[in-house]
Amino acid sequence: MLTRRLFLSSSIFLILFILQESLFNQVRLPLGGFSLFLIFTMCWASLSTPEVGAITGFGAGLLLDLAPSNDGPIGQWTLVLIVIGYGIAFLRYGDDSLRGSPFSLVVLVAVGVVVTLGVYLATGVLLGLDIGTGFQFTKIVIGNGIWTLVVAPFLLPLISYLHRSIFETRETL
Amino acid sequence: MRNGGDNRSRLLLVILIVTSLFLITLDLRGVAVMQGARNGAQTILSPFQRGASFVFTPVGNFFSDIAHLGRTRSQLKSLEDENAKLRERILTRKSIDVEVGQLKTVLNLAGKASYKVVNARVISQGSSASFTQTIIIDAGANMKITRDMTVISGDGLVGVVKDVYPNTSLVMLASDPSFRVGVRIADTAQIGILSGQGTSHAVLQLLDSQSSVKVGDVLLARGSQGDKPFVPGVPVGQVTYVADSAGAVSATAEVRYFAHLSSLRVVAVVVKAPAEDPRDALVPPKPFPTPTPTVTIYVTPSASPSPSTKK
Repeated sequence: MLTRRLFLSSSIFLILFILQESLFNQVRLPLGGFSLFLIFTMCWASLSTPEVGAITGFGAGLLLDLAPSNDGPIGQWTLVLIVIGYGIAFLRYGDDSLRGSPFSLVVLVAVGVVVTLGVYLATGVLLGLDIGTGFQFTKIVIGNGIWTLVVAPFLLPLISYLHRSIFETRETL
Repeated sequence: MRNGGDNRSRLLLVILIVTSLFLITLDLRGVAVMQGARNGAQTILSPFQRGASFVFTPVGNFFSDIAHLGRTRSQLKSLEDENAKLRERILTRKSIDVEVGQLKTVLNLAGKASYKVVNARVISQGSSASFTQTIIIDAGANMKITRDMTVISGDGLVGVVKDVYPNTSLVMLASDPSFRVGVRIADTAQIGILSGQGTSHAVLQLLDSQSSVKVGDVLLARGSQGDKPFVPGVPVGQVTYVADSAGAVSATAEVRYFAHLSSLRVVAVVVKAPAEDPRDALVPPKPFPTPTPTVTIYVTPSASPSPSTKK
């Protein structure tokens, strides 16, 4: 059972990763656009238990680290996404008011994306990487948050369906 | 269920974080395996990226255009403006080129006959509605132009000054129906009267019934008394058709003007005729046939025999 879940979810992430790297990265949207992969990861983690959330973050972060378009050290995304994945799953399980409310889920995902990028930049600074001007990354972080708010409501039904069919839980929106 | 506080889950979290820190450390230490992993990922991804880029580039450009609509539009606007400006400059340049060309030829002509001329630009073509054929030039009394002065272009006679204003003059073209000029057939002493017809052709009437005219004869202005209205020697036109009527009192012929009266840009007003008649000096040269180039190819036998000749 565990193998099946692991295999299916990692295939989904792998396909999405390839799509993100080859297709979605070519769309140039205002405000820096959004990362579908990141939104998907956030939604997935928020629908899962904290353990699965952390493992999801680990897998997704590993893939992002391997992405050729990424120039940070391998493991940076992994570290960030483990923490955020765990945290977002923990938050959603820990607070009953967030559960079952699609709107709060969307907000949670958007905040998750913004925090992820912020933490990524922060770790980048700690690791002594060149992260560009403050204006540039503020724009990208805020833009990603706004785009996530716009895009996530359309993705959530699909993600929720996929998640449910794999984990066979009674999670619904 | 509150899973957050579970020991197992905390252990898992710690293991994962330690793993990621381990990865970061390895990569920052420059272990080759890590870079190899990324290279491998790129190798796997590149065909997908190439395919997607092939399919998606137009769509991506479309999105990018939408995103930068304002910028694209303003860029388009400025390019259009620039384009229009450059096109206008080309047009101006072309018309200046034409003017320079006409000016050059008219100065050549005037110089050959040692006429003293005043150059002028044609600023208006007279209206065709009034049946008279006139032009207005931008030189008038200020340039010492007076009535009945001969106006020439690089090709030949254009007309005669009809009215003089302070800064402009009205010129009656040689094609005007009321225009008359005494002409002489070049190389001969035959004289006649050329009358404008309102077209690019005029009618020549020879005064002497005994004289003969043939197609291709060049006509020159005969010159008037006191050089007004016509200075002598100005090329007028060429005979294109001879009306061969035996019973007529005098021979008539059709003449085409040398000057292109409908496309005049720069003309010259002859303000002073030369001291002596230039006679036939201004007859335009016969068109010189362009030599056809011939190509001669020398074939040198090559030192090494070709395989086909080898037996």
